[in-house]
Amino acid sequence: MEALKLEQVVKQYGEKTAVNQISLKVSEGEIYGLLGANGAGKTTTMRMVLGLIYPDEGKILYNGKTFNSELQRIMGYLPEERGLYPKVKISDQITYLAQLRGMSRSEADKSLRYWLDRFEVPEYYNKKIEELSKGNQQKMGFIAAVVHKPQILILDEAFSGLDPVNVELLKDTVKELRDQGTSILFSTHRMEHVEELCRNITILDRSNTVVQGEIREIKKGYPREQVLLRTPGEVSGLESIAGVTAVKRQERGYLLTISEIEAAQRILQQAIGQGEVEHFEIKEPTLNQIFIRAVGESHE
Amino acid sequence: MNKMGTIIGFTFRNKVRTKSFMITTLIIVLLLSIGMNIPYMIKVFKGDDTASGTAGSAAVIGLVADSGNPAAELLKAYNPPAGIPKITLNSYAASDDPELQKALDDEKVQGYLSLGTASASGLQEVTYFSRDGKLKGEVQSYLQGALQQVNAQLIAGDKLTPEQISAMNTPVAIGNKQLSTTGEVEAEPSHPAINYVIVYVLLILFFMSIMMTGNMIAAEITSEKSSRIMEILITSASPLAQMFGKVIGIFLVGLTQIVIIAAAIAANLKLPHNATIMSDFDLNFSQFNIGLLTYGIILYILGYFLFALMYAAVGSIVSRTEDLGQAIMPIMMLGFAAFYIPLFSIASPDTLLVKVASFVPFTSPLTLLLRIGVGSIALWEIIVSLAILLVTTFFFGWLAAKIYRTGVLMYGKRPSIKEIRKAMKAYKI
Repeated sequence: MEALKLEQVVKQYGEKTAVNQISLKVSEGEIYGLLGANGAGKTTTMRMVLGLIYPDEGKILYNGKTFNSELQRIMGYLPEERGLYPKVKISDQITYLAQLRGMSRSEADKSLRYWLDRFEVPEYYNKKIEELSKGNQQKMGFIAAVVHKPQILILDEAFSGLDPVNVELLKDTVKELRDQGTSILFSTHRMEHVEELCRNITILDRSNTVVQGEIREIKKGYPREQVLLRTPGEVSGLESIAGVTAVKRQERGYLLTISEIEAAQRILQQAIGQGEVEHFEIKEPTLNQIFIRAVGESHE
Repeated sequence: MNKMGTIIGFTFRNKVRTKSFMITTLIIVLLLSIGMNIPYMIKVFKGDDTASGTAGSAAVIGLVADSGNPAAELLKAYNPPAGIPKITLNSYAASDDPELQKALDDEKVQGYLSLGTASASGLQEVTYFSRDGKLKGEVQSYLQGALQQVNAQLIAGDKLTPEQISAMNTPVAIGNKQLSTTGEVEAEPSHPAINYVIVYVLLILFFMSIMMTGNMIAAEITSEKSSRIMEILITSASPLAQMFGKVIGIFLVGLTQIVIIAAAIAANLKLPHNATIMSDFDLNFSQFNIGLLTYGIILYILGYFLFALMYAAVGSIVSRTEDLGQAIMPIMMLGFAAFYIPLFSIASPDTLLVKVASFVPFTSPLTLLLRIGVGSIALWEIIVSLAILLVTTFFFGWLAAKIYRTGVLMYGKRPSIKEIRKAMKAYKI
């Protein structure tokens, strides 16, 4: 049974359809990626999952059951524009939020201290949000979302605006939560995070689902059309190989676009014929490319 | 219920600890303490004045009149009414009497009064001479009264006794009684003066408290919305629990403030030098009306919730703090009406306006208090008015909850009433 399941969910705002028949499943211990350009319907979908707004059609099931107030205990949410009281002490507001989610005060306090230690900032316990940098405010927002040990965690653009060190820290934490069995619905437009974290994804474009499934499978569906070649010297005649549509000279080698997979072997032959080959790779399409193709195509 | 307790506690703790709350309360207490001690301070300064004045209560002036002038004897024999100190008059033979000149030089007398001839047609040519050419107010009013009576005695001669003459000079008091419709003289519902004071104090206290806490609620909700913590809150606890938790939490804040202010008033009254002030103003604590205070508290609670819920509803619709001022304007207006109608009617609490206003839910809390305190009101009127108020408060509780549920998720421009109504239909509370 899935921790979270959306069936043909539709949401309309007046004449405008915000989300059109989205279906998805998040199992226990899975990070599910929800991708889409701005205004594609990600936030609306998440708000429906949170029970903030009701779907006009379709069903949302949590562990097989429909929405009920018990869920407030087991759900955690990090909104895109993270909200915390700017002028209230961190210890006060995070324990307050945890208490609202059904934790006792002492439990909440213990959990908060654990997380502050985990992020190596125990001194923030008595600070106010407005005293922290933006990245640290975001960490506090993340703690507020996970302090009550939720089973279903909803992260809306969790990593935006963080420096690389903190992104790594948060990524590790998210993975750890996943390994502990938390089901995570994760939205972003940073594809490299999705590729690293998610097993399944849905790409939304202007309210519609355009791509859905396991990342590996999705990638298989797209042709491998790029070859990376690295050689110490120049390789001539690459443009004239049958099936090569473009050649880009890079700092240390070439990036070639091919129209058929057989062309890759011919490129390798050509390169070996002229000298040493340091690196040869038939690249699988990146999610970025898939995203641009999927969203771009539907825009045409 | 448990969550609501958490929300109430959090709201209360955070509000009471803010600097603005502490400073406002401190300023009010300070102003009150100063205000309540002003009568004493005036007394102290006055006392200093008389003590430092050369002549003081025992002012001495000279009197120059022909020997055998009847007015001079009468003037010396004049007894002022109670409370006014008698001025001593020393007789001198003439204005160029060296003794008089010496007394003036030594400031033993402030000046001297010269009487002309006295006859049965009254006094003539009364002149006051002094070195500085000034006739002091208290001296003047004493002489005025004295000369008036002397004049009357001279004219009346032996036909009237001195008692009759002094009775003539007593002003006539005008009594005032209201006629009822049946033409009988109605017993004026006499309210002890302390009732006016209580009503006055409660009116100001409640109005201030309701306006301040109401603004607090609206500002709090709007800032939660604009800082987007609302999205987290609303997924953690039901909007209903949140709204009422907030309203009750702030109610406790307001109550705390009122208790502090009341304690400050009580402490000031207890100060030894203020002990006589109450009686000076003809107030008597034994007339202190517990019933009136109880009504006051009930009306305060109902009035508070009615206004607070409206503030909460408006706060939930606005997304930015900058827009809040404009949005709460109508409620402020209503609040001002509720305050100024009773305040300006405190001297005439039985006008039609007051009667009508005491049944209209928004103005009724304070106006009803006025009528109970210093007007005439039947018990059934109180019950009907309270019932209307109670029903309205519950209705607004429901409506505010609906608006709140809808409003907190609406961002961007302030929605129109039509948009709110449409969106409201989408939610069960």
